[in-house]
Amino acid sequence: MSYIGKKLNVNEVTKSVAKKHLFIVLKNVFLYAFLICMSYILLYPILFLISNALRSKEDLFDPSVIWIPKYITFSNFEYANVLLSYPTAIKNTLLMLIPSVIIQTFICMMVGYGFARFRFAEREILFTILLFTIIVPLQTIIVPLYVKFRYFDFLYIGKLLGFITGKPLTVNLLDTPWPFYILNLFGMGIRSSLYIFVFRQFFRNMPVELEEAAKIDGCGPFSTFIRIMVPNATGAIITVMLFSIVWHWNDYYVSAMFYNENLPISVMLTVLNNRMSMIQDAYNLSSEDIYLMGSTVLEAGCLMVILPLIVIYIIGQRYFTESIERTGIVG
Amino acid sequence: MIKTNPFKQIFRRKLTLRQKEAMYGRLFVLPWVIGLIVFFIIPFVNSVYYTFQKLSLGDQGLEFSFIGWENYIYAFTKDPNYVKNLTSSITNMLYEVPIVIVFSIFVAYLLKDEFKGRTFARTIFFFPVIIASGVVITVLKENVLGGSTSNMVASSTTIFKAENLRAVLINAGIPRWFSMYVVDIVNKIFDLTWRSGVQILLILAALHNIPKSFYEVAIIEGATEWEKFWKITFPMISPTVYVAIIYSIIDYFTDYGNQVMRMVVDEANKGRFEYSTTIAIIYFLVVMVIILIVNRVIGKRVVYLT
Repeated sequence: MSYIGKKLNVNEVTKSVAKKHLFIVLKNVFLYAFLICMSYILLYPILFLISNALRSKEDLFDPSVIWIPKYITFSNFEYANVLLSYPTAIKNTLLMLIPSVIIQTFICMMVGYGFARFRFAEREILFTILLFTIIVPLQTIIVPLYVKFRYFDFLYIGKLLGFITGKPLTVNLLDTPWPFYILNLFGMGIRSSLYIFVFRQFFRNMPVELEEAAKIDGCGPFSTFIRIMVPNATGAIITVMLFSIVWHWNDYYVSAMFYNENLPISVMLTVLNNRMSMIQDAYNLSSEDIYLMGSTVLEAGCLMVILPLIVIYIIGQRYFTESIERTGIVG
Repeated sequence: MIKTNPFKQIFRRKLTLRQKEAMYGRLFVLPWVIGLIVFFIIPFVNSVYYTFQKLSLGDQGLEFSFIGWENYIYAFTKDPNYVKNLTSSITNMLYEVPIVIVFSIFVAYLLKDEFKGRTFARTIFFFPVIIASGVVITVLKENVLGGSTSNMVASSTTIFKAENLRAVLINAGIPRWFSMYVVDIVNKIFDLTWRSGVQILLILAALHNIPKSFYEVAIIEGATEWEKFWKITFPMISPTVYVAIIYSIIDYFTDYGNQVMRMVVDEANKGRFEYSTTIAIIYFLVVMVIILIVNRVIGKRVVYLT
């Protein structure tokens, strides 16, 4: 609002200031009302899980118990710990997850950069295929993939050796994390295409001057990528890494396909109910107890599965949101 | 005259600057292309091959017999649910995706500026990203939203349903189709908010990427908030909004709650792998066409800085 060149009318100024203040107050009221409602909707399932996981079997029949159980018990967690083989399952998950996430992020960034910044004849058609790979879920190709990793033979080298030894040389990669590593290395891991897409959009929006400056200083395309583009892509990298961690952690379809033993945590959760007899023997429970506690133990298990993610998220959240703010390199 | 290695000369002459650039681009994309061929196209062709077969469990494992287009014909003419589910998935997508996108932009815009409790709000809004993609959400949906009989809490989840709202709206003289639409959205609020975590995140990152100087100029020029949004913010985040739209469409179609996806998984579990693949392939061809149309329509309107 400009008062320059106008005769100052005090009344008018106070009015406009008051109007502005009212606007700010209203905006805040609206903002907080909205956030509180949304928080309730978003936190409801977690509160529900916590409330149910703490229930003892007496609370299940008590209609007066709505949120806070009368007989708080931690035995559900104890049972879930046994049923999930928690420490082993977590170990299996991490063994698959950590290398996968690192490989996936780097490869997707490289490919995304290639798509964003270089012109070559088949780029558009390849990019259309990339979109197609995002929407074709693994379900349609999982059986051939299963066979591929059961008799894994890299680039048909094994078959070639087979002419010498008489029998094709293949490796069984099932029950190891290698299928995940290999798929990620070739940009075909869980949601890799999506990350390539994200990186491509990110790099497309970066100023060309940066690359030109690097080129003048004598950087080749690869050193430009490693030394200029990667450090500047921290925001996109952290975003993609977080997604990658979450989706590898939560994946149960692919893992259930590739693992028979060494099951990761999310697959263990899907079979939790089938393993109920384990606690029946270990804790001398009646089969009626087992039937009743089925859902509360499952809910405790759910909490235990997402707990590490929540911890990672709450710790990393600060860096994460800060990095979102600091992604801008222009201006 | 300086003598040079003729091979070197040919090699040099062959690669113009543009060719060099193309070569480097191909090198960057190479790992993905190998992966595409080995781990996608070959398995995919295999799967397509299955759709023309009948699979049965014989003495020596799986047995195939060629039956031509029968699986496809069955899907379109004999299966009572497939066409119905397919069309309802598409129509649902057409109105759910815009809501998710508008909601995400709105929330990202709210979360962008400094206010008390922003960190807390952000933590909560990205919460669904952690949970919504895994097995936990399936359990939650069965126990929280589906209303299992094993515990009393399930009955209280009707707070997320708007049973009476429809009657109120129709009595208020609002057209029937519109009130149905509103009620439908209200009923889906839980689902929709839970599905916009990723989009909010992407858009928020994009909002922070807009140079502050752009706004400074706009303020000096005397732009209003409204003008600032449509003239600066929106064009600047349009590439990300485009990603978010594509992501939402794909997320919608590949969600296990989707009727067609459920059919695909169910049929595979029943052991009718060839039919499961058939309906999946038809489905994803349809989705591909939709995405290509969206790409045509929106992709052209996206503003890139460079």
